[in-house]
Amino acid sequence: MDLFLQQILNGIMLGSTYAVVALGLTLVFGILHIPNFAHGHLYMLGGYVTFFFITLLGFGFWTAMISSMIILALIGILVERVVYRPLRDQPHINSFISAIGALMFLETFVVVAWGPQGQRIPNPYPNPVEIGGIILTQQRLLVIIAAIVLIVLLQLFLKKTTPGTTIEAVAQNREGAMLVGINVNRVSSMTFAISTATAAAAASLVAPIFMISPSMGALLGMKAFVIVILGGLGSVPGAIFGGYILGLIEALGGGYISADYKDVFAFGALILILAIRPTGLFGREEVG
Amino acid sequence: MLKLTNVTTVVGGFPAVRDVSLEIKKGEFVALLGSNGAGKTTLFRTIAGVLKPSKGVIEFNGKQLNNLPAHKIVMLGLSLCPEGRQLFPHLSVYKNLMMGAYTRRNDHKGIQLSLEQVYELFPILKERKNQLAGTFSGGQQQMLAIGRALMSKPDMLLLDEPSIGLAPLVVQKIADVIKNISKEMGTTVFLSEQNANMALMITDRGYVLENGKIVLAGPSSELIYNETVKKAYLGA
Repeated sequence: MDLFLQQILNGIMLGSTYAVVALGLTLVFGILHIPNFAHGHLYMLGGYVTFFFITLLGFGFWTAMISSMIILALIGILVERVVYRPLRDQPHINSFISAIGALMFLETFVVVAWGPQGQRIPNPYPNPVEIGGIILTQQRLLVIIAAIVLIVLLQLFLKKTTPGTTIEAVAQNREGAMLVGINVNRVSSMTFAISTATAAAAASLVAPIFMISPSMGALLGMKAFVIVILGGLGSVPGAIFGGYILGLIEALGGGYISADYKDVFAFGALILILAIRPTGLFGREEVG
Repeated sequence: MLKLTNVTTVVGGFPAVRDVSLEIKKGEFVALLGSNGAGKTTLFRTIAGVLKPSKGVIEFNGKQLNNLPAHKIVMLGLSLCPEGRQLFPHLSVYKNLMMGAYTRRNDHKGIQLSLEQVYELFPILKERKNQLAGTFSGGQQQMLAIGRALMSKPDMLLLDEPSIGLAPLVVQKIADVIKNISKEMGTTVFLSEQNANMALMITDRGYVLENGKIVLAGPSSELIYNETVKKAYLGA
């Protein structure tokens, strides 16, 4: 029973970060109508920027994380401008190729700057806490809480504020948005900034638990796609639930069967769910 | 107020609008007639800045619109209620209207007044303000699209085929409201229609567009008796 609860908690922790990363991906998908293939690599870069601020500039954990979010927001805006916007009216395949160029650049850049080996961010909160007989480090608890706070804030932003509503408006009808006076380019920049900043937050939160490495972006990016497809492309609740579902599948599969196969369970679940529901769990039929 | 001089718009290598010149004065209510594919929608999209003219000059209140993006043109007080309505299907009716007022988002009092005005024109929008726009019927969506365009408090409203695909009774209702927008609210209205009968009954004058060119212009009361118009659009 303890093993079960322990794995559930691990799953929720993993799922929290997955949900945050997938949310950013799904928001950008809504705007671009293509997936941002470089999303996982921007997440990876976010982890490294936090690492840089902590180890080289001696920032505290939270200051480093917030600085990393700001830097990644700016990089996100740049990526949208340079990688995606010039190709907006071109066939989608051009954007894919451009994105692959961007992700190769990001990975190589990190290898050159920090080397190919993994790095560890010192854990700011290593002390264990006990909840109902289950022991976990404060940092793990923190990941869960911080991720949930981010998700709730993002939801409130999208649903309750005018700039948030413009993101939904552009995603639902680009021409309609232009005609009511929304600057679609500015909304694209804003969406990218939010998406990459939240990815940086997720990477920074888990960096003290797992190692950061230049190749971690590729696997996480792939998983974020799984989640977004699982939840239904462009769906915000789908990204959140998909994130937690994938986290739980990995933790339970990894805990009970074999940790080596945890990614197999994740991608196996994708194939299974899509076979049953091709539009994803929360995918909606076209309306209006 | 709106002046087009020799405007040509090329879409997919084909000039869908050719050498169009026209002028609309403040307070006028003008029809643009033409069959399917005549270039009405292309002309409206060009004026609203969704498409760029390849030749010619578009002026609104003396300001040249040619190189302005669509969102800046709305800010000048020219609003297009587009073909196909282009609503935000997963947003509520209320949020659609609020997005319509995006250009004046800090004028809370003014927005409230416009909202009441729109609710008065279309009471159904008030009754169903929390319903998702995508679940509306065609007629209701058209009302919402017109309401959304009015929320920017435009000096001039371009209406692209508001009657398309609607039942005759609904068309009548929408025609009444458009007339109201022109006569009571004093908004300058440019109305594109295939339904020439409806359009000529309510407008002051009209243009006839064929193959992207203006072939006829005159007061609505004369166009309605014009042999060409009768043959082509009134089924007589």
